[in-house]
Amino acid sequence: MIGYIRWVDSLSKALGHSFGWCIVMLTMGTCFEVFMRYVLNNPTSWSYDMSYTFYGALFMMSGAYALSKNAHVRGDFLYRKWQPRTQAKVELFLYFVFFLPGILALVITGFFYALQSTSILEVSVNSPAGVPIWPLKIILVVAGLSMLIAGTAEMCRCILCIKSGEWLDRDEDVKELEEILLETYSKEQGAAK
Amino acid sequence: MSDPVVALFMLGLFICFIFLGFPIAFTLMAMAVGFGFYAYYTPAVALWDNNIFFLLVQNTFSVMSNDVLISIPLFLFMGYIIERSNILEKLFVSLQIALRHIPGSMGVAALVTCTLFATATGIVGAVVTLMGLLALPSMLKAGYDKKLSCGIIAAGGTLGILIPPSIMLIVYAATAGVSVVKLYAAALIPGLLLAGLYLVYIVVRVVINPSLAPKVTTADDVDFWKGFKLLLTAFFPLAFLIFAVLGSILFGLATPSEAAAMGALGGIFLSVAYRAFTWDRLREAVYLTSKTSAMVCWLFVGSWTFSSVFSYLGGEGLIAEFVLSMDLSTLQFLIMAQLIIFVLGWPLEWSEIIIIFVPIFLPMLAIFDVDPILFGLLIAINLQTSFLTPPMAMSAYYLKGVAPKGIELWDIFKGCFPFLGMVLLTLVLVYVEPKIVSFLPDLIYSNAAVDNSPLPEGVIDPSFFK
Repeated sequence: MIGYIRWVDSLSKALGHSFGWCIVMLTMGTCFEVFMRYVLNNPTSWSYDMSYTFYGALFMMSGAYALSKNAHVRGDFLYRKWQPRTQAKVELFLYFVFFLPGILALVITGFFYALQSTSILEVSVNSPAGVPIWPLKIILVVAGLSMLIAGTAEMCRCILCIKSGEWLDRDEDVKELEEILLETYSKEQGAAK
Repeated sequence: MSDPVVALFMLGLFICFIFLGFPIAFTLMAMAVGFGFYAYYTPAVALWDNNIFFLLVQNTFSVMSNDVLISIPLFLFMGYIIERSNILEKLFVSLQIALRHIPGSMGVAALVTCTLFATATGIVGAVVTLMGLLALPSMLKAGYDKKLSCGIIAAGGTLGILIPPSIMLIVYAATAGVSVVKLYAAALIPGLLLAGLYLVYIVVRVVINPSLAPKVTTADDVDFWKGFKLLLTAFFPLAFLIFAVLGSILFGLATPSEAAAMGALGGIFLSVAYRAFTWDRLREAVYLTSKTSAMVCWLFVGSWTFSSVFSYLGGEGLIAEFVLSMDLSTLQFLIMAQLIIFVLGWPLEWSEIIIIFVPIFLPMLAIFDVDPILFGLLIAINLQTSFLTPPMAMSAYYLKGVAPKGIELWDIFKGCFPFLGMVLLTLVLVYVEPKIVSFLPDLIYSNAAVDNSPLPEGVIDPSFFK
């Protein structure tokens, strides 16, 4: 079970990390458009569609990554105070009641939605450039699927925690600057003592 | 149960479920699908063809292709790049030297550093911890009062969510359907007013009681040119970047997302110039951007469907009716709304409050004739308090985490109280004189010249379509 969790985590992380680079493409693409418009006086016709495609792909495909790093916001001021075992029991139940129905609905209905769009190779109506938007609709389904897989790993985490009484640790990953600073500082304090 | 009552039940149930600590994006989605299934149920249609499923997918796709939300990852990226560019220390030192003749110079320098850095990055936690490690020890060493020092850093760092370009305002604009550009123009004066009040407060306190902030003598021997050079390398580039990003948005040269992209590129140049740019740092910034954007934008996925179902069932109408029956004046309504937001700020974060609870107030704004931009600004100012007041005072906790020994959480809270007073004062000022908010948007966007010259042949008069 731990092997499965680690495998799913690395899958989610790989997805999140690779789609994260969309932000660089988005930055470069948008700057290119500004350059074309103001310097060469020749704006592109595809820039707007490009921008939301990258943005949509970025955040949707990072959803599973955020889930596997426990980064989705929780209203956790009561939750924090519970025993890990209680947390896990409540959470496992809620994964069945809250998580699965919503995400399943997204994946199944999204599949037909994307199928329809892909079968006619739908393009954007925003400009005559005819930027394809069917890839973004496929991403909606793939992102939903990756969420579903990441969700099963989280459910396994809950089961493990109910058995052992403590949460399985998460892989090392990039951290917010404040977390890094807080950790190094408390380590230094510990060493000073 | 009639449908509007079901809607209220849905909202109440959701608020209870928040406390179970499950990721809110999914709770919202599940509630929306569950109650939506009931709302759109018709016996003639097969269960799996219920409209709610299409609504969910359609709304998800609208979040994915929303042109306002594009700016969120871009501004996050800009923030993460700048936060890792080693600029803060230089900024603090240069400002300390530049401001050394002002009473409480180190405190003022700390405040200006916090404000500028928080404005550029928009990431409150990073500013507060960085300053807590860098400025707080030197302030304490110089004999500064610990409560005052803590208050300056916590309150100054929190300004980043108010002063544009702020991510919170983009989220509000997307939720309330107002123009980001106008909202930014509106937020500029109140943001600077609050920062200015903080500054005046520090100087006045120090003038009245100089023992709070003994004069620092270490910087006295720096000559003018050396100080100016420091400012030139540390203060001006960052100030220019913020000014360029904000200016191009306000003067209509670029859309917010274009300005954000240029800002991110500018941030990369800045960090190259400071020799702080490494591939590792870029990678970290990229990964953090993807994680944080997923967190904010997935909330929208759930909440848009949730609020569609809520208003389809008639919940909005019922709440509006209820509020109307209370027979409130506009002032009473605003005070009530702000009190509710203030209380919500204790357990919840700004993203949840704005994305989930603000839509409930929005339909009432028209009834009470309140400008949604003014309302947004009142909320943005109000939410400053949620970072500074217990029990969920993020800024105070971050500061406590890195504060030197001998500083208790209670000292930090006590230090924040006067600054909270200033936030309240700003709220009152904005209410009494709404021009503080509306002046800049009116100035920039009202005098667009109406072109009455005859249209070229073959062009249809636009008024034809009205």
